[in-house]
Amino acid sequence: MSVFDDLKDIRERALEQIARSADLKTLDAVRVAVAGKKGELTSVLHQMGSVPAPDRPRVGKLANEVRASIEEALDARRAALERSELERRMAAQAVDVTLPGRTRPLGHEALVNSIIEEAQDFFCGIGYTVVDGPRVETEYYNFTALNTPADHPSRSARDTFYVVDESAGADGLPTSGVIGESNVLLRTQTSGVQVHTMETSEPPIYMICPGTVFRPDAADPNHLPQFHQIEGLVVDRGITFGDLKGTLDAFTRAMFGADRKTRYRPHFFPFTEPSCEVDVSCGVCGGTGCRFCKHTGWLEILGCGMVDPNVLRMSGIDPEVYSGFAFGIGVERVACLRYDLPDLRALVQGDMRFIRQF
Amino acid sequence: MRVSYEWLKTMVDVPQDARDLVEQYTRTGTEVEALDTVGQALDNVVTSKIVSKQPHPDSDHLWVTMVDVGDRNLGADGRPAPLQVVCGAQNFEVGDHTVTALPGAELPGGVRIEKSRLRGVTSFGMNCSARELGLGSDHSGIMILPADAPVGVPASQYLGLSDVVIDCEITPNRPDCLSMVGMARETGAILDEDVRFDLPKVQREQGTPAQDSVSVTIEDPELCQRYVARVVRGVKIGPSPEWLARRVMAAGSRPINNVVDVTNYVMYLTGQPLHAFDLGKLSHDERGRAHIVVRAAREGEQIETLDGKTRALTPDMAVITDDGKTPVALAGVMGGMNSEIDEGTVDVLLEAAAFSSGHISRTSRNLQLMSEASMRYERVVDRAGCRDVADVACALFEQCCGATVAPGCVDEYPVPLELPRLTLRCERLRQMMGAPITDEFAAHSLERLGCSVTPGDQPHVFDVIPPSYRPDLPREVDLYEEVVRLWGEGDIEPTIPAARNHLGGLTTEQRRLRLAGATLRASGLNETINYNFVPEDDLARARMDGLEGMGIPVRLMSPMSSDMAVMRRSMIPGLLRNVAFNQAHGVGDVALYEVGRLYFGRPGKAQPKERTYVSGVLAGSWSDQTWYERPRQLDFFDAKGAVENLLDALRIVKARFEPADPADAPFAQPGRVATVTASGRRLGWVAELHPQVVAAFDAEGAVAAFELDLEALIALSASELPYRDVPQLPSVDMDLALVVDESVSYERLMQAITSAGGKSLDSVRLFDVYRDPVHVGPHSKSMTFALKYRAADRTLTSQEAEALHARLVKKVCAATGAKVRGE
Repeated sequence: MSVFDDLKDIRERALEQIARSADLKTLDAVRVAVAGKKGELTSVLHQMGSVPAPDRPRVGKLANEVRASIEEALDARRAALERSELERRMAAQAVDVTLPGRTRPLGHEALVNSIIEEAQDFFCGIGYTVVDGPRVETEYYNFTALNTPADHPSRSARDTFYVVDESAGADGLPTSGVIGESNVLLRTQTSGVQVHTMETSEPPIYMICPGTVFRPDAADPNHLPQFHQIEGLVVDRGITFGDLKGTLDAFTRAMFGADRKTRYRPHFFPFTEPSCEVDVSCGVCGGTGCRFCKHTGWLEILGCGMVDPNVLRMSGIDPEVYSGFAFGIGVERVACLRYDLPDLRALVQGDMRFIRQF
Repeated sequence: MRVSYEWLKTMVDVPQDARDLVEQYTRTGTEVEALDTVGQALDNVVTSKIVSKQPHPDSDHLWVTMVDVGDRNLGADGRPAPLQVVCGAQNFEVGDHTVTALPGAELPGGVRIEKSRLRGVTSFGMNCSARELGLGSDHSGIMILPADAPVGVPASQYLGLSDVVIDCEITPNRPDCLSMVGMARETGAILDEDVRFDLPKVQREQGTPAQDSVSVTIEDPELCQRYVARVVRGVKIGPSPEWLARRVMAAGSRPINNVVDVTNYVMYLTGQPLHAFDLGKLSHDERGRAHIVVRAAREGEQIETLDGKTRALTPDMAVITDDGKTPVALAGVMGGMNSEIDEGTVDVLLEAAAFSSGHISRTSRNLQLMSEASMRYERVVDRAGCRDVADVACALFEQCCGATVAPGCVDEYPVPLELPRLTLRCERLRQMMGAPITDEFAAHSLERLGCSVTPGDQPHVFDVIPPSYRPDLPREVDLYEEVVRLWGEGDIEPTIPAARNHLGGLTTEQRRLRLAGATLRASGLNETINYNFVPEDDLARARMDGLEGMGIPVRLMSPMSSDMAVMRRSMIPGLLRNVAFNQAHGVGDVALYEVGRLYFGRPGKAQPKERTYVSGVLAGSWSDQTWYERPRQLDFFDAKGAVENLLDALRIVKARFEPADPADAPFAQPGRVATVTASGRRLGWVAELHPQVVAAFDAEGAVAAFELDLEALIALSASELPYRDVPQLPSVDMDLALVVDESVSYERLMQAITSAGGKSLDSVRLFDVYRDPVHVGPHSKSMTFALKYRAADRTLTSQEAEALHARLVKKVCAATGAKVRGE
């Protein structure tokens, strides 16, 4: 056989073997056997010396073609085999993606605090600050400075937790003159913070004071002796009742949903004049009346009003120059309205199964 | 305030349907708690007529009657037939009209009427007394209706019993609305309707004038601003007429007798509390006069009030006394037993007075004694009206009690009421409300509410004098409220203020506080909130009492229970109760934190130091066994890890965890408690709690915990740390296994390594701790570190790195007594 035939034969067999190689190892064996140092093609090329000179260009050309086509086939086959190997490997690695992921369980925020943060974010967005204050407060800041008459029933020990006054000379009767009361108490509202703010800063004041408050209500499904309020105060030139409404309408929609309506009912609070209670339309029935809203279509959520001039004056602000509004909302009430909680006491039990739902 | 719709109708025209009025009330600020329908329950109770009356054959007091109930009973022929009813009353004759309950009726109080046999005679119903029908106190016999009463019609229809009561919650600023007259005025103002008060008048005055029977002295006008006394004689104590009893009941009182009912009725009608004394029980002077002295109670004085309780009085309380000596009533709160109206009362002294709201309020609070009277006095009564109210009551004594009214009255009025003269600036009203309320509307509204309104000296200004019964309107702004609530707050256009020249947003500290919470949650802890008031022995149970810096407890004066006696000084007890609660409910894996206030009382100071802390507890494991992992018992290092994450998030780099002396941390398991400090400040601790503490709160198993001063953490928190270039050159990594004595801490080894490594040591990481008596040796441990060497300016050769490493090992071993493991 001529060297031409040898080359063609090598090519034919090599291509066939390459095509038949089922894995990379076999393919590599073919490569060694054909194109390796001691491979068939190599040894044929080694015989080039014995090829007659006139034939050499042709033989050389053919040899290069054969080598090129074999290498091309080898590469192509290798790529194909590698691809299928990868696919096989991947197929073997398939998992049940519905199995749970590897996690450390994430902690959850207390429902009450997440509502407070939401309210903070709303009010910060319209230019308010957030202010905190003492929870063991004096009767002055909790009542007197808020225009609460000396003998207002809310001051009684039925409605206020008084604490033992440890200050020097506090062994007699408190200024209220009532046994069982004291000049120091657990704040029943966060409004005292508003007074502190008015005393220490000049208008314009745009602030909210969220926080814990205390009232002697025995814990039951609807009451807790310790709960949370978000109160707010605005004092500026030209503040109107319309400003109060616009602000609380927007807040109510932010907290309860854009489709909710509000209703303002005149009411009485010592520190505002005029005063209102605000109802939001029932989210369950949409205002037509159901068990949730006691068939009224409305849910009471807020107390508010224009800041009483006495309160402004007591804090050193001229009510002829400035006006303002104040409001307060019970956080537990919001929680109840949102989730229809059957029993508020779940909020203070630390039950992991409860906390982790929110 | 319970407003009877039938009663209200007599004073003002109201909508047919009470619900329409309720809606108007709601819109204008009178909160309605309930709408009660009364009288409808009297089904199967009909008017009737006694046809015959025979003694019961087997009883000496029962009667067998035949009563005509019209077509409510049909005979065999289908025509109306009388019904046989056995009756125990003695006050009726044949031909009397009465009320009969038929089988199936249910009377107030729950009595069901059925066909029954009474000593062998069948009774097909019951002839009813007023009390049995819930119409008063009269139980002396069956109700006798007028002779022209129809027969066989529903009793509730005939008696006009069917009524609607609007139960209103009256805010403390509206004492006038604690009366029917006041509610009628308010209703008239809301509906823009006229009101009519057809008050009874005394027909005839005779006998000894009141001035000759009574004298009144007010010792202190601060206690009592007016005292009107009138005298009626010859009262015949008995049940009230049915209309009176019905109205008293509709208002919420139980009828007692005609005299007492009249005083209650007039109070409900006018809002002015009245008191009736048995004049005969008061002592009289030589001229036959009773001398009423209103004065402060004396220390140690006592009175037995009408509820039968003996009350110890204090000088802050006002009493009505008999000639200045014996207290006969606790002024404005409750009468005394010793002057009570009873069956034998003949002559009555009627009091219509104005006592000071403050004293009444305190008296009521100090004695824990609330009454309809004290509730009204607390909110201020209209002293201008005392005299007129007394006259109305006398007219009713005359009409309902057969009394003779003595001429004249004694009227001590040391502090006449002065009405405020106000200026209403309509421009300012419009501006502050943000609503186009017209001058005319404002003036008309105030007039409707009883104010006198006259044009002022400038345009858009009115001079306004509020009526005497509106003590809540002393200022201009109070008038704004009245006008705007009638104008309708719902119609004011909502706007949002611009907050010009005001900077809002959270402070840096507030943002860090949020970051702290978010970090703890990312570390797997859940946030809880516990009561801030706790049992007094909480700290002792947690073995924390007597620890430094805890101050004295803040004590509640009247805790609702012993579990809420003092304000907390640590959150750990509350969190341990949470652990116990969860464990008791089958939840063993508990990871909780609380950000809350602690209260450290200070002797001599009214208010405690309040500080925000963060505390956490970990019990059980992070989760139950999963498909990829076995549960691992949480311990000290899980709590420490949560704290380390917190420190990392807050950028507190120089924090240290030092072993705490068991004497300083008795609440912790010795050897598993570290004090956390930074920049020389003590921030708190991390520990596994002492098993006795865990058990003391009924929790089980190991509980890891921490308590840190969050305010201090936030104060130490750095917003930013200096930037360090990210290394661009490769490092040389070497491992180092050191065997050291147990007493050598990780912290000590790290200090030695980092100080020996100098600048070339890029980082050190502990990756193995190993103990083995044979391979490591007793009382020793092997700690293996991964070290990275790097030069800032060039690539280290391995020879250089090895030289650095050898020098480091030598220094560390010399400093700590460590040996390289395997050498």
